[in-house]
Amino acid sequence: MEMNYSTINGTSRGYKILMVFLGAMVGVFITSFLVAYLKGQQVWGVSNIIPWGQLITFYIYFIGLSAGAIIISSLSYVFRKETYEPIGRLAVFMGILLMIGAMIFVMVDLGRPEKAWRLFMYFYLNNMSSLFAINSIFYTGYITLMLIYLWLIFEGRKRLAVVVGTIDVLWAIAVHMGTGAIFGLIGNREIFFSPIKPFEFLMAALTSGTSLIILIAVVTFKLTRRVIHEELIFSLARLLRIIILILLVTVFVDKLTHLYFPNREATLYLLTGDYWWVFWIFQIGMGIGFPLFLLTWPKTKKSIGWVIIAALSVVLGVFGERAALVIPGTAHPQPFFPGKMEGPWGEPAIFPITFWESILSLSIVSLVVLLFVLGLRYLEILPEGRAEENLEMK
Amino acid sequence: MVIDLDKCVGCQACVVACKEENNVPHGSPEEQRSRREIFWHKMIAVTRGKYPHFRIELLPMPCMQCDHPPCVTVCPAKATFRREDGIIMQSYRRCIGCKYCMVACPYGARSFNYKAQEGKPYHHQDEPPDRKSWEPWPFPTRTQGVVEKCTFCFHRIDQGLREGKKIGLEVVPACVEACPSQARTFGDLDDPQSPINKLLASRASFRLREELSTHPKVIYLSR
Repeated sequence: MEMNYSTINGTSRGYKILMVFLGAMVGVFITSFLVAYLKGQQVWGVSNIIPWGQLITFYIYFIGLSAGAIIISSLSYVFRKETYEPIGRLAVFMGILLMIGAMIFVMVDLGRPEKAWRLFMYFYLNNMSSLFAINSIFYTGYITLMLIYLWLIFEGRKRLAVVVGTIDVLWAIAVHMGTGAIFGLIGNREIFFSPIKPFEFLMAALTSGTSLIILIAVVTFKLTRRVIHEELIFSLARLLRIIILILLVTVFVDKLTHLYFPNREATLYLLTGDYWWVFWIFQIGMGIGFPLFLLTWPKTKKSIGWVIIAALSVVLGVFGERAALVIPGTAHPQPFFPGKMEGPWGEPAIFPITFWESILSLSIVSLVVLLFVLGLRYLEILPEGRAEENLEMK
Repeated sequence: MVIDLDKCVGCQACVVACKEENNVPHGSPEEQRSRREIFWHKMIAVTRGKYPHFRIELLPMPCMQCDHPPCVTVCPAKATFRREDGIIMQSYRRCIGCKYCMVACPYGARSFNYKAQEGKPYHHQDEPPDRKSWEPWPFPTRTQGVVEKCTFCFHRIDQGLREGKKIGLEVVPACVEACPSQARTFGDLDDPQSPINKLLASRASFRLREELSTHPKVIYLSR
């Protein structure tokens, strides 16, 4: 049976208020970008010690969400699981938007964004041993593949969609592992340096992507008065539980490798230093422990409300995981010389949360939401009418 | 470059000379607090033990000009590159400001221009006004939003080579020139007959973070 999809009407009061708010955030985005571009990055929290801040955190976070969304979409279009069909288009569309969001984050973070075209002059003006250059191939290919994939789905060419979808899922895995390698291959930063980092990134991408799809599906279906099939959410929740377990193992192995041998100062700093709360409360607590508990406990795992809370917790927790990598990873002073380094060179740096950087990040997130809402308005993303009826019809 | 820690008195004249020569801006107190001051050459103090039985090492740290530079490997835009003579250079025209090199540098040698700096040549009133005479260094302009670093005063070296002077004896980087105790020696490490290699053969030496195999070309003689 074919499932019918429709656009949203966009006539309700809530929709208009949302559009006005998001439109205003576009203005905020342009303003905050221009402020940072004209005054320099001194208006942000980044420094010579912590060169990557909020924007890079959001960038790897969004890439993770995108890769996760695409991999979830494959359940519907590659593996042909009919339960997941109502969210198939949604997942692919979110994958594209989140990737575009990630690209905006990384472009804005550049000191000279107007020179970013150099990244795409493969083998001629760029250095192909740099992971940024390699990833730029991954990213452009990824966006192209996703657009073709979505187009094929819209056209209803399911055979081809399977082929492109399979390539796209493999590509999404490569994209996210490549992003993990940006950090994992940096040998002088103890917290970054780990061969398991790409896998950890992939698992974190899957957890956050699945959770975001649960959240977005519930929210959009609720707001557009569509009924979501509960079994869909519960099966995603079961999937989420397994991936969180794998993520837990990867994080544990990664930290154990760094803690076992005596050169563990930077990792100890991550676990007990200024940013212990980012690691323990966000990454471990909200990203792994709390949702794992909610999804395993017999009472809570059968309640849709608790599953949504677990998904929300993962979405926030994985953001904390990204922050716990980017910021403490560079904040800890590098051991230039054995002994205790005195003065500022030996002290861990603090990353201040500044107004312009935060508002810029929030406005880019709003921009992605705006594109998402516009997409729902003009593209046939959501299934028509009551999802339950659609499923029963099969 | 060889730095003899036995002779070094820790006066930091090298730090000041570098700032002056390359017009590296002095950061405001706010910038120093937020760690945004640009340093091409820094000095770190490392202590061991407790008073009264303790020891301070003062280490002047320019860019180590590694033979296997991680910054060059990670730079996506070929903005940082290794010259034929081994100096690691940074091209401000190519740099896109992604700051990956700052993450990858094991010595913290790189700084980012967080704002447009004043370009006035405030320490060079004695220089002729014609900028062409300062070639090839486009002194003293700075670019906002790019990464910069120590260049081993390549402008002096290039000019010295053009004039046929002896590098390391008549022409040296500013930090070497400024050192009052002559703790620094500059020369050609490839030439086995050069004074720098004779000096290295005579004393115990070490490099910073040798375990990373970056092969720094700044070598310290231990105290």
